[in-house]
Amino acid sequence: MELRRIISALTGVAQSTIGVLSAVLAVLLFFNILEVQNVFDVPAELLPLYLLCLVLFSMFSVLSGLLLVRELRQRITERRKLAVE
Amino acid sequence: MSDEKKKYGLISAIIMGLGGAIGFEIFALLNYAYFGLAGPSMISALAFCGIINLITMLSYSELSAAIPEVGGEYTYTKVAFGGVICFMAGCLRWLASVFGGALAAVVFVEQLGVLFSVFAPSIQDLVLANVSILIVGLVVVLIILAIRGVEEASTLIVAAFLAIFIIFLAVSTGYTLTPQNIVPEASGSSIMYFFATAAYLFPMFVGMRALVAGAPQIKNPGKNVPRALMVTTVVLTVVYFAVAYVAVGAVPLGGEIAGEELPLLNIAANEVMGPVGAILFALAGIIASVSSVGTAMTVQSSILGGMSRDGYLPAAVQRVHKRFGTRYIAIIASSLFVVFFGVSGAVAFLGYAASFGSLLVFALVNLSLIQLRRKMPRLDRPFKAPLYPLTPLAGIVMSVLLLAFPVILRDVNAESALLSSFGMVAVVLVTYYLRMVKREIDFNRLQVAVGGICFGAGVTLILLAPVIAPPSMFLAMIIFGLVSIIAGILNILVPTRKID
Repeated sequence: MELRRIISALTGVAQSTIGVLSAVLAVLLFFNILEVQNVFDVPAELLPLYLLCLVLFSMFSVLSGLLLVRELRQRITERRKLAVE
Repeated sequence: MSDEKKKYGLISAIIMGLGGAIGFEIFALLNYAYFGLAGPSMISALAFCGIINLITMLSYSELSAAIPEVGGEYTYTKVAFGGVICFMAGCLRWLASVFGGALAAVVFVEQLGVLFSVFAPSIQDLVLANVSILIVGLVVVLIILAIRGVEEASTLIVAAFLAIFIIFLAVSTGYTLTPQNIVPEASGSSIMYFFATAAYLFPMFVGMRALVAGAPQIKNPGKNVPRALMVTTVVLTVVYFAVAYVAVGAVPLGGEIAGEELPLLNIAANEVMGPVGAILFALAGIIASVSSVGTAMTVQSSILGGMSRDGYLPAAVQRVHKRFGTRYIAIIASSLFVVFFGVSGAVAFLGYAASFGSLLVFALVNLSLIQLRRKMPRLDRPFKAPLYPLTPLAGIVMSVLLLAFPVILRDVNAESALLSSFGMVAVVLVTYYLRMVKREIDFNRLQVAVGGICFGAGVTLILLAPVIAPPSMFLAMIIFGLVSIIAGILNILVPTRKID
């Protein structure tokens, strides 16, 4: 079961990274840095919707990723406690 | 006794209601309603809005007379239902205020452009080229003023507005204005557009809720608040109807002067009163939008503060500035959202979003009235909504119908606004769950819930990738989707791991 926890933690890190990348993309789109609105061909009237989807996706990805990482951290803490005892 | 003397009478209450309602919305919303939706029948859609508003104001009157406490809708839903519904009412009210504030910021820049177009076209180009910077600048200045607790001169603004509208209407009597087709044709699409327009124009009326929120400051609220609400609704409907009638008459659809470059009201003022009218209306628009952004910030901080006091939000939200005595964290947090949506500059989207938030709150207020009549039949009610239960039921049905029509019409702005509103409601529910439920139990249920959301998002992403992804992003979207699905499954399976 230890392997499953490690896979969970790795997936968690990957998902949190994707979440952060989505948030960065939302910022790039919002301020139209590097002309990303044109690159992704985002219509002006749909921009708020795109931003909202990205922000929600980002929020849940980071949250989900952190929950998976937290699981492994909890396990490590428990082991340390046991070792000390 | 001294406290009683400080309280406002009926006239002040009416001014409070008018002050909350008459504002920048008339500058922002008439344009899309006229050029993009219903055309001249926008005028009758306005009158229809007035009627719907009147129906819901009957419910507001009963509730404000029975529960004359600070907080308005939030307090009514709290007494009637409590829990998640009151939390949602508070959040929706806050959201409507955020979207309204963002729209006001956009109108501020638009009217600034109109003002300079009259006597300094080169400055107008500069203004239009720096819309985002100006919106951020305006909000920052108002954050400082809001934190410092600067009072707004709402009475003066109301008086100035009414005076400008009366001059506009008086001057227009010298013209022969006969707008055509102000009543929608008896065809399916005309009726759809009519209702969609009514939904879009709804924020022009909702500001009068300021009167309900201020009920504790009014003398004899049981009598004065319902009367003031009724008078305010009638005055607003008449003024808006007359102004829209003249504007539509002065700027016929498809005529030489019709166009979407300038707001309808500004073109009409220019036509009827000349450059003086254009300047007067642009100034009125600027003052109204600045005042509205300021008011929105105060309202937002008050709602967030109330929700924080009740334990729904972190205690830090109601932290008060040592020197100025204002909730500065709540003000700054709300203002970030105002800037975020304001910089988009999407007037039609913001108009719908503000309207949808308000309509959902209206439906919840009507539901609260029904619930309170059942739950607390002996509650002292100095005013009772007539024709109960037809009045609140009509309010609920109308609110839901107005939400539905623009979406059935496939108006892209309405669809975006509705999806955004539902997205925000989803965030609200998750926040509530995290804040209120997760205090007592472990993280397992949360992890399963988030896992489910990620699994669904991953599947959606993979299904949508072939349709929406540009070729360079296709592979990235598939990988993101797969990671989300795997993470979702791992999160959902967490209880079994715990058992292991």
